[in-house]
Amino acid sequence: MSTMRLPSGTYHENYTQDHAWWQTRFVWIRMIALFAILFIVFPYFAGGYELSVANRIGYTILCALGVQLLIGFAGQVTLGHIAFVAIGAYTSALFTLRVNEATPILKDLGLTYPISVILAMLVAGLWSMLFGLPSARVKGFYLIMTTMAAQFITVDFIITHYISRVGYRGVSFSLPPGTIRFGPWDIRTDLEQYFLMLILVILGILFVGNLMRTRIGRAWIAIRDNDIAAEVLGVNVVRYKLLAFFVAGALAGAAGSYANAVSFTVSPEQFGFGESLWLVGVVLIGGIGSNYGTVFGAIFLTLLTEMVQPTLKFILPDLALKTSYVKDMIFGLAIIVFLLLEPKGLAYRLQRLKDYVHLWPFSY
Amino acid sequence: MNYRKVFFALTLVMVLALTVACAGGGGGGAAPTAAPAASKGEINVGSLNDLTGATSDVGKDYALGVQEAVKWINENGGINGKTIKLFQYDYGYRVPEAQTIYKRFRDFDKVVAVLGWGTGDTSALSPTINQDKMPYVSASYAGELTDPAKTPYNLFAAPDYSTSARAALTAWYEEVWKKDARFASEQSGKPRFIAFYQKSSPYSSAPIKALKEQATLLGFEIGADQDVALTALDTKSQVLAAKDFKPHVVWHGNTTNSVATALKDAKALALGADHLVNTYGYDENLPKLAGDAAEGVMGIAVAAFYGENIKFMDTVVASAKKYNPNTPQDTRLIHTVKAWANTLVLREAMTRADKAGKLNGEGIRAAFEELKDFDIGLGVTPLTWSSSDHRATGQVRIYQIKGGKFNLLKQMDMKAKYASDWPKWIGY
Repeated sequence: MSTMRLPSGTYHENYTQDHAWWQTRFVWIRMIALFAILFIVFPYFAGGYELSVANRIGYTILCALGVQLLIGFAGQVTLGHIAFVAIGAYTSALFTLRVNEATPILKDLGLTYPISVILAMLVAGLWSMLFGLPSARVKGFYLIMTTMAAQFITVDFIITHYISRVGYRGVSFSLPPGTIRFGPWDIRTDLEQYFLMLILVILGILFVGNLMRTRIGRAWIAIRDNDIAAEVLGVNVVRYKLLAFFVAGALAGAAGSYANAVSFTVSPEQFGFGESLWLVGVVLIGGIGSNYGTVFGAIFLTLLTEMVQPTLKFILPDLALKTSYVKDMIFGLAIIVFLLLEPKGLAYRLQRLKDYVHLWPFSY
Repeated sequence: MNYRKVFFALTLVMVLALTVACAGGGGGGAAPTAAPAASKGEINVGSLNDLTGATSDVGKDYALGVQEAVKWINENGGINGKTIKLFQYDYGYRVPEAQTIYKRFRDFDKVVAVLGWGTGDTSALSPTINQDKMPYVSASYAGELTDPAKTPYNLFAAPDYSTSARAALTAWYEEVWKKDARFASEQSGKPRFIAFYQKSSPYSSAPIKALKEQATLLGFEIGADQDVALTALDTKSQVLAAKDFKPHVVWHGNTTNSVATALKDAKALALGADHLVNTYGYDENLPKLAGDAAEGVMGIAVAAFYGENIKFMDTVVASAKKYNPNTPQDTRLIHTVKAWANTLVLREAMTRADKAGKLNGEGIRAAFEELKDFDIGLGVTPLTWSSSDHRATGQVRIYQIKGGKFNLLKQMDMKAKYASDWPKWIGY
């Protein structure tokens, strides 16, 4: 049975109706309007700056989807997720650069980058699974420490010292415009990056959302709620935990590939430990255990940090530079405030609002 | 609960306000390809600075320098009577933030040029600024930004990191290794060289390839690089690892705080090597932080140190006192002077472009490429840009700390000294 609260008088007569993504006419209209805004209205009216902020939000969502899956759905706390994003970015960059050089036909057909995205997802997924192995033996605080190790081993050691030096000088690989093509589509401008982001984010959300409605999703939730009980009920805990790490890593791989299309460059500096913390913050503020939470958290935190400086500059024009630390401070402050006052995050608040509207006027 | 409702309402208002502010930011429409001047009498310029990130130990002073130079320019004729409106933002040394701020500059603030900061973000932005034809005068002096065939809109008023590093090593080889009595018995062998820097940082690693090339050219034996974080508070393990190699000279490629830590640890653990420091690690704070360990340390200074008795310095100091009176003078650094150098050359290029009626990206770039042996004082060697080479100078000043003071050891003219190699060295 669906867990969605429906407006009074709405009944389902079969499973298809009960499991539909969009269950009422109002939801259909709402979603069509949302898609129209995302695909037509926003890109039409937005300038390069707004699009680049949207791209940052999209990148954050792509990265945080995996964190949400691990923490929110499977109950496996991770503090090293950006390492898998880095693996994805480097796999995609190396493959694209090398194959573009070796087989220009693939480059001309615009197939190198799409193949590199799939490869990046695969490699990052497997790498993530490797660091998920300790989850078979440890959990909670100890698992946090092992996932942190993923960050230091992957980014600070393997990527910095070895992978980033493969065949190219320095530590930063340059992927100038024209290198990344998606079929006939050359990813060059903010608008092209925006549409690529939109497609990846929608696919990512649909994938995770659907996965949670399957046997796998239910197994993850069972493990999250009580792993011993799940095992007693016949769930292969280790297998499903590793699967969660694989899927989360694969999503991170997609995010890393997308980062290349936006940055035109990749260097280990972009994948610091702070970024992993940031992703956990996004999930905490947005709401644990909800895809909406991932989206809201990414929008809220990105806009918050993006607008702090212009707002400070507007209020205190002469002091704006001297108060630049506020931008970093506000991230920590936001987490504390949310954990104290709204521990279930923004998604829960939206759910309450929707419930209120659906049940009105008989909300009791 | 009442406070929950209040909190929810506040959050909602904040999200809405931020969304509206963000959506209203760009004014709509497609992104312009070239940034026009904002209004008559005012020219918008962006400044991207690191005030809170890994290089903020040197970035804050640079940001103050930019601010003061622009204020001074505005009070002293501006750009043919037009004033500069400066949009200055901190990006915390994070590349994604630099990218969105740059786009804010381009589409919302409508700047005609940008004064940038780090190597990682400048390199990452390079394809975009080329596409937008946006002059980008950076505090990053990375060699990879000097080839106009690849990075036509990247400019800076200093010798590039690679040339500077080559010069520093050569100066040590000629002035110390060849002449110092300490090495008299070893001169028949090869001098041993090792590098300390953050490998993951594009700034720190930018000159390493050129540096090792030069070391090979001079016949050095090169040891394994030691990875030292820009934010390092302890480098003992790296010093101990380096000690096995018994280096004669160590290159420090990070910023001041990290270099000071390495120098102190090297002294404490009796590494027994000489030290060469890249330009953002060699400032007035180094002898203060490293104390005795900084004695004898050689380094690169692309401009005069703050307060030095040199042409135009009195204006820099007077402006610092006037516009930032609450910042103590003894905390001001050479990075202020570097900021002035970049801002003054940008001013010159904008003035020429404006006179020619081409105050846009292409016009400013063309004006830069007209500058020949341009002298701004401040200890910056004469600057020349051309349409085929954006290495503004091949002259590098190498200093040595003696008694806590910086003394000029040697001025190397790398372009003249290595005339046949000079054309090959462009772009890395």
